[in-house]
Amino acid sequence: MSKGWQIAAAALLVGGLLGWYGATTLEEGAFRYYQTLEEFRAEGTPGERARVHGYVVSGSIARDLEARAVHFRIQAEPPHAGGRPDDTLAVRYASLEVPDLFKDGAEVVVEGELDPSADAGPVFVATNVLAKCPSKFQPDLDPETASRMP
Amino acid sequence: MSDLGYYALRLALVVAILGIGAGLAGALRGRAEWTEVARRSLLTLLALTGVAMAALFHAFATFDFQLEYVASHSARDMPLFYRLAALWGGQAGSLLLWVFVLCAYGAAAVVIHRRTAGRLLPWVTVTLIANALFFLVLLNFVTNPFEKLPPDRVLSDGAGLNPLLQHPAMMIHPVMLYLGFVGFAVPFAFALAAMITGELGTAWLRATRRWTLFPWLFLSVGILLGGRWAYEVLGWGGYWAWDPVENASFMPWLAGTAYLHSVMIQEKRDMLKTWNLALIGLTYTLCLFGTFLTRSGVVSSVHSFTAAGWFGFIFLGYVLVAAAVFFGVLLYRRPMLRSEHRIESVASRESMFILNNWVFLAILVVVFWGTLFPVFSEWFTDRRIQVGPAFFNRMTAPLALLLLLLTGVGPLIAWRRATPANLRRQFLWPAAALLATGLLCVLVFGSRIGVYQLGLFSLGAFVAASVIQEFARAIAARMRNHGEGPFAALLTLFRKNQRRYGGYVVHLGVVFILIGAAGAGFNEERLENVAPGGSLAIRDYELRYLTARPLPNRHYGGAQARLALFEDGRPVATLAPEKRMYWLQEQPASIPSIRSTLREDLYVVLTAVEPNGSATLKVYRNPLVNWIWIGGITFVLGTLVTMWPTPVREGTRRREGR
Repeated sequence: MSKGWQIAAAALLVGGLLGWYGATTLEEGAFRYYQTLEEFRAEGTPGERARVHGYVVSGSIARDLEARAVHFRIQAEPPHAGGRPDDTLAVRYASLEVPDLFKDGAEVVVEGELDPSADAGPVFVATNVLAKCPSKFQPDLDPETASRMP
Repeated sequence: MSDLGYYALRLALVVAILGIGAGLAGALRGRAEWTEVARRSLLTLLALTGVAMAALFHAFATFDFQLEYVASHSARDMPLFYRLAALWGGQAGSLLLWVFVLCAYGAAAVVIHRRTAGRLLPWVTVTLIANALFFLVLLNFVTNPFEKLPPDRVLSDGAGLNPLLQHPAMMIHPVMLYLGFVGFAVPFAFALAAMITGELGTAWLRATRRWTLFPWLFLSVGILLGGRWAYEVLGWGGYWAWDPVENASFMPWLAGTAYLHSVMIQEKRDMLKTWNLALIGLTYTLCLFGTFLTRSGVVSSVHSFTAAGWFGFIFLGYVLVAAAVFFGVLLYRRPMLRSEHRIESVASRESMFILNNWVFLAILVVVFWGTLFPVFSEWFTDRRIQVGPAFFNRMTAPLALLLLLLTGVGPLIAWRRATPANLRRQFLWPAAALLATGLLCVLVFGSRIGVYQLGLFSLGAFVAASVIQEFARAIAARMRNHGEGPFAALLTLFRKNQRRYGGYVVHLGVVFILIGAAGAGFNEERLENVAPGGSLAIRDYELRYLTARPLPNRHYGGAQARLALFEDGRPVATLAPEKRMYWLQEQPASIPSIRSTLREDLYVVLTAVEPNGSATLKVYRNPLVNWIWIGGITFVLGTLVTMWPTPVREGTRRREGR
C-alpha cells in the first residue's frame, strides 16, 4: 500500500470512530430541538420530553417560594407584535432561578413534559427554561420607548 | 463632521478601485511605478478609513443623534468611555472597524515589505485592497454608519447600548477579536501572491509566519477576554458556552494554531507546502465566516437577532469567492508544491506534528458541525435542531486529551526517526510525572474523578514535566559551558532561541487553561431561598444573608444583597451580588459576586429578592477556574517571547530547534 492510501485509511478510521462517538452522544440526548407551540399542540404527547417555543404571557409570571417553583404561561405570538393570549400553555418550572432575560413578553423555550392531569388543568412541567431577548442588539428605534427615560 | 466621514467612505471606494487597477497593471506588466500607485492607494485608504473612524467617534462623543447608528447605540447619559466603545457595538460600526484595521495591517505590511517582497508586492496589495473594497461596498451601500434619520424621527436622546455590553472587557474584546480576524488577511495575501507568482520559496513563508503570530495572539486574547466577560457579567457560573459566536472566534484560532505548528515542518524539512497554504486559506476563510456568523445572525445566539437578509447573502457570497479564488489557485499550483522529502518514521517529530494538525482539524470539524447544525438540520429535516454544550464537551474532550499528549511528545521526540535511546532519555521523567500524578489523583479523589479529569491532570503533569526538563537541561548546559548564572542562562535561552522556549511557555499556559477547564468536573451548585439573617452552606463555606439594599444608580435599579462569607467558621469575605434592571432597555441583569482563590471560586448570584424580603441565591463552587486566567496570562507572555523582535538580522538568523 502506498503512503497516500495508508493516510487515507487512517483518516477514515479516525473519522469513523469520531462519527460513531458522535452518534452515541446523540443518543444520550445532547441534541435538542424545539417545536413551536402550534406544533406541540398538534404533535406533542403527554409524558414525552419536549422543547416548546413561545412567548411569556404578560402578567402571568408568579413565583411560589413555598413550592420553589415559578408558574407562567406561554403564547404562540409575541405580545409586543400584537400576539394575543387566547391559546396559552401553562408552565410550571420547578426552580426559583429564571434566566435574566425571562420576563413578560420574552421569547422562551421550555424543556420538559406535559402533565395533562394536574388539578388546574394541563400543565407543562419544565425542567429548564431558556430565554431570549425580544428585541435587543439591533434596537428598534421606537420613539415611544426611547422617550421613556428616567 | 459626520458628513466628512460619509464622504471619506465614498472616496475610499474610488481609491480602492483605482488601487486594484494600478496593482493589477503593476503585477501583470511588471511596472514598478504602477505598483507604487497601488501601494500608496492602500496608505490613502488607511487615512480615509481613519477619518471615517474619527468622524464616527466624534459623532458618539458629541451626541450626534441625527445619525441612526449613534442614536441606536448610545444615549446621552452614557459615560464617554462607553459611548466611544459603542462604535463597535453594532453592525455598521464594527464593519468600519474591520476595514480600518484591515487597512492598518495592510499599510504596515506594504511599508515593511516594500523592498523585500519583490514580485509579491503588487499581488499582496491587490489582495488586501480587494478585501477592503468588499467592506467599503457594504459600508457605503448596505449598512452605512453615517446614515441619517429622517428629521421627524431624530431623538433628543439615544436608545443606549445593551447594558450587558457595558463592561471594560467588552470594550476591548471586540477590538482584540477584529485585530485577530483581520490580521490573518496579511498571511492570506502573501500566500496568494506567492502562489500566483509561483515564487514559492522561503520569502513568503517567513513573512507569513511573523504576520500570523500577531493576529493569532490578538485572537487568543480576544477569546480569553470574552470568557472572562461571560464569567463576570452573564451570571450563569461559566465562561464558555459553545455559543455560535464563541465558536466563530474559536474556529479560525484552531486552524491558525495548526498552521503555526505545521509551518515548522516546512521550515525544517521542506515538507507539507500544500498543506500549509491550505491552512492559511482556511484560517482567513474562517475569519470571514466567523464575522459572517456574528454579524448576520444566521445561527441564533446571544449576539444576534438580526435577520440575515440580503446582507447575509452578499457576505456569504464574499466568503465563498475568497475561498474559491484561494483554493483554485492552490489547486492550479499543486505541481509546483511537491516535496522531495517524505516522512521516514512514525516515531518522529514530523509525524507527531502531522497528527497534531489532524487533531486540531478534527476539533475544528466538530465545532463547525455543531455550530451549523441548526442550519444543516433545517435543510434536511425542515426543523431547526440545536446541539447543546454537552455535545461539544463530549466530542472535544477526548481530542483535547490527545492534543495534550502530543504537546508533551512533540517537542521531545527526535526529527526524522527516534531511537530507543532518544526516547528513554527524553521521556523517563515526564512519564514518571504522568504516572505519579495519575496515581495521586486516584488516591485523593477516588471515584469522584472522571476519566477526562484524570487524563487532563496526568497529561498536564506530563507536559509540564517535559517543559521543565527542557528548561532545566538547557540552563544546566549553559551554566556548565558558559559559566552563566541560572537566571542569566534563562534569559539567554529566551533571547537566543525565542521561538522554542517561548513556545514551551505557551504550552505551559495551555496546560494551566486545560487544568482550569478540568476543574469544571468538580463544580457544585446550590439554589436556596434565604431569609435575612439566615444562611446557606456549601462544602466548608457558610454564606450568611445580611441585608438587601436598593441600588442607587441612574441607569438601573434593583437590589444588592450583602452577604458574609465564612470558611470553616472564620469570616473571609463580604460578597455583594446585584440584581439590576436597566431602565432604558428594560433589561434585567444579574451581576455575580465572586470570591476567587487559586483553589476555587465561590460564585454567588442574586437570583431574586422576594417580596417577603428573603433572597433567592444561586451559589456555585467552581474549583480551579483561576487557572484559566493564569494560564491565559502565561500563554500571552510566552507568545510575546516568541514574537519579540530580535537584534539578529533576518537573513543571518540561526535556525530554531535542534
